[in-house]
Amino acid sequence: MTRSFTAPLQAGLPEAELLARLAPFGGERDPLALAKTLVVRLAREQLRAALLALRDGADTRCDQLLDVVGIDYLSYPEWRGPRFAVVYPLKSTVFRHRLALKVLVEENDAVVPSVHDLYRSANWAEREVWDQFGIVFQGHPNLKRLLNHHEFVGHPLRKDYPCQKRQKLSLNDPMHDELIAKLESLGWQVLERPEPSPGIPLGPMAASAGGQR
Amino acid sequence: MKARRPDGEVVELMTVNIGPSHPATHGTLRVFAALDGETIAAAVCEMGYLHRGFEKMVEQGTYQMVLPYTDRLNYCSAMMNNIAFCKAVETMFGVELPERCVTLRVILLELSRMIDHLVCNGANLVDLGALTNFWYFFNARERVYKVWEKLCGARLTNTVTRIGGMYRDAYPGFAEDVLDAVQVVEEATHEVLGLIEKNRIFIDRTKDIAVVSAEEAISAGWTGPCLRASGVDRDLRKDEPYYGYETYDFETVIGSAGDTYDRIMVRMYEILESAKIVRQAAMRLRPGPVNTSDPRLSLPSREQVYHDMEALINSFKLIYEGVRPPPGECYDAIEAANGELGFYIVSDGSGRPYRIKVRPPCFTQWAHYGDMLTGSMVADVAASLGSINIIAGELDR
Repeated sequence: MTRSFTAPLQAGLPEAELLARLAPFGGERDPLALAKTLVVRLAREQLRAALLALRDGADTRCDQLLDVVGIDYLSYPEWRGPRFAVVYPLKSTVFRHRLALKVLVEENDAVVPSVHDLYRSANWAEREVWDQFGIVFQGHPNLKRLLNHHEFVGHPLRKDYPCQKRQKLSLNDPMHDELIAKLESLGWQVLERPEPSPGIPLGPMAASAGGQR
Repeated sequence: MKARRPDGEVVELMTVNIGPSHPATHGTLRVFAALDGETIAAAVCEMGYLHRGFEKMVEQGTYQMVLPYTDRLNYCSAMMNNIAFCKAVETMFGVELPERCVTLRVILLELSRMIDHLVCNGANLVDLGALTNFWYFFNARERVYKVWEKLCGARLTNTVTRIGGMYRDAYPGFAEDVLDAVQVVEEATHEVLGLIEKNRIFIDRTKDIAVVSAEEAISAGWTGPCLRASGVDRDLRKDEPYYGYETYDFETVIGSAGDTYDRIMVRMYEILESAKIVRQAAMRLRPGPVNTSDPRLSLPSREQVYHDMEALINSFKLIYEGVRPPPGECYDAIEAANGELGFYIVSDGSGRPYRIKVRPPCFTQWAHYGDMLTGSMVADVAASLGSINIIAGELDR
């Protein structure tokens, strides 16, 4: 399928149409969404199918996953639903429409299927949500912390994590596991696994760098 | 480490850390690479060295108290973050801004875009060993900073907007200063273009380096100049216009190859397009209020506070309790210098944000960087890293 990347953006589907597209997946308009933002709630079992339909649908083509947003509703006033939400804001580079999908999960079952194979951008975005909220993305190839140190304990954006709490963190992440996995995915075969060591720093005074800002 | 290549040959791979403290990483970023000779067999990236817990901190105060934090996201164009955040909160209220405020914001947005591109390209050229261009660019950037200084007293962390308007109106002679600064930036851009555009060394170092195809860039969630360099003609200012961008005469700049050369050149020519917008906006500046009169957002005047009980109470409540957007959730974004800068805001109806998620444009670029490097030479790391413009402040938050 070839397409012109320089063609002007086409008129998008109206909200009602987008909702109709998601009705087979049990999608309902999220009552919390304010004007301009369309957020559709659905069950996590339907998430991958719905994303696939939106991504590949000839009149939806939501080909960009902008972000993955975690929300903890623990202290939200008069909240009765599950504790956590994961929101997937989407946009299209073909049509002028945007929407976001939202999946709610309970605290004792905070698991959502990973969509890293549907959108490249999901890989790191899901790692961030795992790091900050402790929501597990099932099927993720490398669910490691992203923003916080690998020795960090807990998930700081949960509402019951105290803002001022301090933790002592020391050792660097050697990252050999990640590098070897990457090599293997590119067709390499690692014959001898290295002892984790800090590695050789190139810089801060590398001659090739030309100067410091 | 001993490994077998995809073609069957057994080689010794050397692993190197590039960063987190390396002059070309411009901040603290880490690339961990396995080298086959001088070629990068695979690379993985790490982030978080500048993580300050922005999203946790903003939950502790009122909406107004978030503003100074936003300065510290992309500190090369702090005003863009101020405006993007204020715009998102204003969208939740559904308020209309006065015309003068909108025009001022357009001027500040485009000038910020220009200096952001100056820093990005200037520093990238330093990484390639072309120091002269950096001085040309930083001289011009200084002129814009002088305008910032006169406008709000701060150079780097401006906090120049308020929810519902501006910190204060521009000083007399602001438009003239802006036009002077724009001319200096334009001249510097032409000078640097003259030095690099057909320069053999520059072209050899950047052409076909770290190529990203349009399909890859879209799937990786890229936006902004990096996406346009891959040939995808998408710009929020044209596609989903806000602040009357549809009424300005300017072009989007797109590349074709998606290599380092295109990413640098897209930024170069975007500086010139932004200059066009600033000139048109400066002509449109008419006297008028810069803050909305909506009492939910704007402080009453001192005059009213001293003579009217209601105004006094409102002033007190706005300061102590903060502005109160309606309960609900909203995503709003602008075309920042680096791409789509979005805020997903969850309001519980109180004066404190319940949750703010920043969508920093360089996050998706950095997430894809390891894949971009596969098969390049070690020296290309320094050349290509600058071209995706990673700003650790907004990346790590």
